[in-house]
Amino acid sequence: MSPNQLREVRTTAQAEQEDVFFGQTVIVWARWGVIVAGIALVLWTSNSISLLTQTMPFFLVLMAMNFFFHGRYVMGSPLNRTVVVAASVVDLVLITAIVVFWPGSHGLHNQFYVLYFPVVFAFALVFTRKIEAAYTILAILLYTGACILRATVPFDFGPDDKVLVMRLIVIASMGFLGNYYFRIQRDRLTKASRGSAATTPAVAQR
Amino acid sequence: MSTTATDHLVSPDGKWYWDGVAEEWKPTSQPAPAPTENTPSAPPKPSKPELKGLESFPGSVRTEDLAYGQTVLVWARWILIGTGLLLSFWAPSDLVTLQVQLAAIIALAFGNFYLHVQLLRGHPAIDNVVYGASLADIAVVTALVIVQHGFSSPVFIFYFAAIVGISVAFPTWMTTAYTTLIVGSYGIVALSTATTDEYPAVFTRLLMLAAVALCGNLFARHESRRRAEAIRIHDEMLDDIEQGVIATRQPTPAAQVS
Repeated sequence: MSPNQLREVRTTAQAEQEDVFFGQTVIVWARWGVIVAGIALVLWTSNSISLLTQTMPFFLVLMAMNFFFHGRYVMGSPLNRTVVVAASVVDLVLITAIVVFWPGSHGLHNQFYVLYFPVVFAFALVFTRKIEAAYTILAILLYTGACILRATVPFDFGPDDKVLVMRLIVIASMGFLGNYYFRIQRDRLTKASRGSAATTPAVAQR
Repeated sequence: MSTTATDHLVSPDGKWYWDGVAEEWKPTSQPAPAPTENTPSAPPKPSKPELKGLESFPGSVRTEDLAYGQTVLVWARWILIGTGLLLSFWAPSDLVTLQVQLAAIIALAFGNFYLHVQLLRGHPAIDNVVYGASLADIAVVTALVIVQHGFSSPVFIFYFAAIVGISVAFPTWMTTAYTTLIVGSYGIVALSTATTDEYPAVFTRLLMLAAVALCGNLFARHESRRRAEAIRIHDEMLDDIEQGVIATRQPTPAAQVS
C-alpha cells in the first residue's frame, strides 16, 4: 500500500455515528442552558405554591433526562441517534408548551421563545442536512402554531406579523448556520483523514 | 510542509534520521543540508512566516479555524443585513429610526461585501478586520436596540446570528470576551429600559446568548481535536509505510555506520 492509496477507512454510517457521539455533548450543554433558564424562571416568577408545584416537575424530569445523557456521555457510552433525536424533539415540545401555557403572556407575546435558539443551533451542529432541516422546520411550525393557537398573530402584515417573521428567520438561520459550519468541519475532517492537513477554505471559494 | 530534522523518520536509537531527498540515513547531530541548485527536487527551505494577519494566532490550527469560521461569520452577517433590510421597509415606525437602520445596514453590507470578496478570492481578511467587523455587528445591533427603546426592541435577536459566527470562528478566550461584551452591553440597555416584571425575560435572553456561544465554541474545539487525531493517525500510517519501504532497501541504519 502506498501513501496515495490511503483513503478514509470509515463508512458513512460510522462517520455519522461519530458525529452523534462527539456532537451529543453540544446538545446536552444546550439543554442545560434551557433547564437552568426554566428553573430560574419558575422560581422567580411563581406567585403561588400551586403554580410552582405544577411547573417545576417538567424541568425536574428534563433535568433527570439530561443527567442520564450527560452521564452516559462521560462514561463513554452515549446514546444512539434515535434517542438523541427523540430527546431533542421533546425539548422543542417543552419550549412550545412554555410559549403556549406560561402564565401571564402567551404566544407571540411570550418572551421565552429565545429558548428555541440554542436548541436548534446545537442540533444543527450534530446531524446531517436533511435531519437538521426537518428539525428546524419542526421548530418553526411549532412556534408558528403556538402563536396561532393563542390568537396572537393578526395576519394583517402589521408590526406583530413582522415580529413573528423576524423570529422565524432567526430560528431558521440558527439551523442553517450551524449545519453550514458542521458541513465545513466534515469536509475538513475528511481531508485530514486523507492526509491533506493543510486544507484551504474551499467551502468559501465555492 | 516543514522539513526540519524532527519531522523525519528517526532510527530507534535516535542517532539517525532518514533524508528522503538524498535517500540515505544521516546523523541527527548534523543539521539537515540546505537545498542547493544542484538538487532541484529539494523543497525550498521554509522561511519563518511573518506574524501578520491570520498568522497572528498562536498555532496554525486556530489560524485556519478563523479562515474557515469567516465563511460562517460572513453568511451570518448577510442574514442580518437581508433580514434587516426586509424588515426596515415593513411597517416602519418613524423616519429617524428608519434612517438609522438603513444607514447602519448599508454600511454593514459594504463591509461584508469586502470580506466576502476576499474569501472568494481565497484571501481571508486579516485578523483585525475580522475582529473589527464583528465589533461593528455588535455596535449596529446595539444601536438599533437603543433607538427602538431597549428591552421592547425585537431586533436584539440578531445578536444570536452574530454570536454564532463568533463562537465558531474565534478562539475560546476571544469568544468569551465578545460574549461578555454582548451580554454586558445588552444587559445594561435592557435592564435600564425594562420593568421589574420583565427582568426574567432579560435574564433568559442573556442566558441564551451565553448558551449559544458555549455550544458553538465547544463544538469548534471538539472538531479541532478530532482533526488533530485524524492527522496523527494518518502520519503514523505513513511512517509505517515508509519504514516498510526502507526495510526493503536498507536493512538497518547500523549498516551505514559500519
